[in-house]
Amino acid sequence: MAQEITLKDRYGYMLWMRHFELACLEGVPTREIHGELHTGVGQEAISAGMVGFLSKEDAMCSTHRNHMHAIAKGVDLRAMLAEIFEKSTGICGGFGGHMHIFDPSLKFSATGIVGAGVPVALGHAYAARLKGNQAVAVAVVGDGAVNTGAFHEAMNMAGALSLPLVVVVENNEWAISVPFSASSATETIAERAPSWRAHGIRVNGLDVEEVANAFEAALARARSGKGPSIIEAMCYRFRGHFEGDADMYRSKEEKERRRSEDPLERTKETLVARGLATLEELNEIEKSVVASISEMLASVRKDPSPSGADATRYVFAE
Amino acid sequence: MARNLNLSQCISEALHLEMERDPQVLVIGEDVGGQGGVFGATRGLQKKYGSGRVLDTPISESAITGMGVGLALEGYRPVLEIMFVDFIGVCLDQVYNAIAKNHYMSGGKVRMPIVIKTAGGCIGSGAQHSQCLWGLFAHLPGLKVVAPSNPYDAKGLMASAVESDDPVVFIEHKGLLLKRAEDFTFGSDVPAERYTVPIGKANVVREGSDLTLVTLSGTVAPSVTAAEEALKKGISVEVIDLRSVVPLDMDTVAASVKKTGKILVVDEDYLSFGLSAEVVTRLLERKISITSVKRLAVPDVPIPGALSLEQEVVPNERSISAAIAETVGKA
Ligand SMILES: Cc1ncc(C[n+]2csc(CCOP(=O)(O)OP(=O)(O)O)c2C)c(N)n1
Repeated sequence: MAQEITLKDRYGYMLWMRHFELACLEGVPTREIHGELHTGVGQEAISAGMVGFLSKEDAMCSTHRNHMHAIAKGVDLRAMLAEIFEKSTGICGGFGGHMHIFDPSLKFSATGIVGAGVPVALGHAYAARLKGNQAVAVAVVGDGAVNTGAFHEAMNMAGALSLPLVVVVENNEWAISVPFSASSATETIAERAPSWRAHGIRVNGLDVEEVANAFEAALARARSGKGPSIIEAMCYRFRGHFEGDADMYRSKEEKERRRSEDPLERTKETLVARGLATLEELNEIEKSVVASISEMLASVRKDPSPSGADATRYVFAE
Repeated sequence: MARNLNLSQCISEALHLEMERDPQVLVIGEDVGGQGGVFGATRGLQKKYGSGRVLDTPISESAITGMGVGLALEGYRPVLEIMFVDFIGVCLDQVYNAIAKNHYMSGGKVRMPIVIKTAGGCIGSGAQHSQCLWGLFAHLPGLKVVAPSNPYDAKGLMASAVESDDPVVFIEHKGLLLKRAEDFTFGSDVPAERYTVPIGKANVVREGSDLTLVTLSGTVAPSVTAAEEALKKGISVEVIDLRSVVPLDMDTVAASVKKTGKILVVDEDYLSFGLSAEVVTRLLERKISITSVKRLAVPDVPIPGALSLEQEVVPNERSISAAIAETVGKA
């Protein structure tokens, strides 16, 4: 399956991810989206690097910053956008909101509690063991999550039982205002892996091919019964922790410098340099993505809000 | 004249004064140091008192609360920040098996002068970032539970919480934290110097004779507004801000209900097995005659994501007005 996804395809996915996030940003000042919205702008290469390797049987457990992970898993974009814009047509009918995207048909779920997704992925991995199938469970977390008890407990069990768990850590070096360097006993996350009998690798999370290669290898390892892996993908969060975050803890100089290393630009340059696409061609692709998303947003905006009368539904099974 | 402060700055002012007074006071939590808290309620503390006394932690709530127990055993007074109260699930063990019980289990030998400082309440963030949970803490013996409704109380109650030899869960309402003092119709004058507001004494925010409305935290202001509206229709509502769930100031509530005979409890926490039932039951136990009872609280559902759903389940001015009319039989 992976062979079918070219670098140009991955660039296309990155464009969808970037412009999906930009569309979400539009709903904040207009108060169509309430609560704190977390976007992954700048971290696209990690999600785009995961595209194409997972089937419906493989699970993915995500975080508060989940939109691009969901896109990588194949979650319906319109239904997700509608959920984020608090519409009754949303993937969870508006009951979840942007931090709580669920698509059981794709075994995708997310949680707003940092670290809490990793034990859930462990459950999916154990189910694969019980069922005796080839499924893998993927947990995507931020660097902040690796310091939770839940992360350690789940990694230890996955290692002890040699379960098919792949943890992708988006190390954007900051957990809100606290830098990773100030909160971890180890310099890297990858180096912790052996203590859980896991394989650990640190990759450049701005390089979509590097991510894809590491992800493919980790999945192969998991599917062949060799146990869990941690992929630590280095990246940078281009925007504040949430929309509205004053983001004073990162210096202007740092932000400018790091934002200039844009994974989309990087991929574009690679494609052109290798003669895999022309600049014009790539710009055309971007234009059509932008047009599709703005059309999608316009249409989502016409959808109704959930009816207040339904607010007490779904507490128990219907 | 109200000083130009928001509620979170009043809390930070209280913490400054407590840290200055007592070198044993520590502040520990995520983003409390360099950033001064995600709502600014610990602003300036690290700069003034250093990174030893004001510690930025990893996202490790079990370690935060557990180390708070150890530090209390060492004689410190830790203020532990759990950013949102919803995250307490990660570390409830240390809170209810150690912080709440150690004094009791040790036969009174061990003190736990710990403040668990946390933000609750709805601001449109869905099921995992919107809860109040004071009823949960109140159910666990050994914890005092405070939830201020205005800047004056926030500052004075925080001083009392830090000074208390008992553990205090201090729940700040997210909808109030960034509100300016001048935007409050009560408790907007905040002295710059240190003062305390005693924990366990309710505040009659507005006097009235037809109905007693009991509430706290984020629903006090809309209750006061609803009471003002009700007066235009000839209904006189007494609004009581409990300030704390534990201790529960039943003397103040009972004195009011003796006068009005009618009770409405407005609670942003879940309805069942919680504050509203507790207040009403205690009135009945005191054999106070009541002619009308109503409870307005989140109807035992998680807080939904979409605002159109949230507004349906979380008490607001509109639903409080309707509940007032219903309780006095003028619906
Ligand atoms: C258990 C828990 N503690 C604290 C929070 C508040 N919080 C939300 S996101 C976040 C930082 C997460 O950092 P990281 O895991 O690196 O992910 P990033 O936001 O950088 O993508 C924090 C502290 C939470 N949601 N859950």
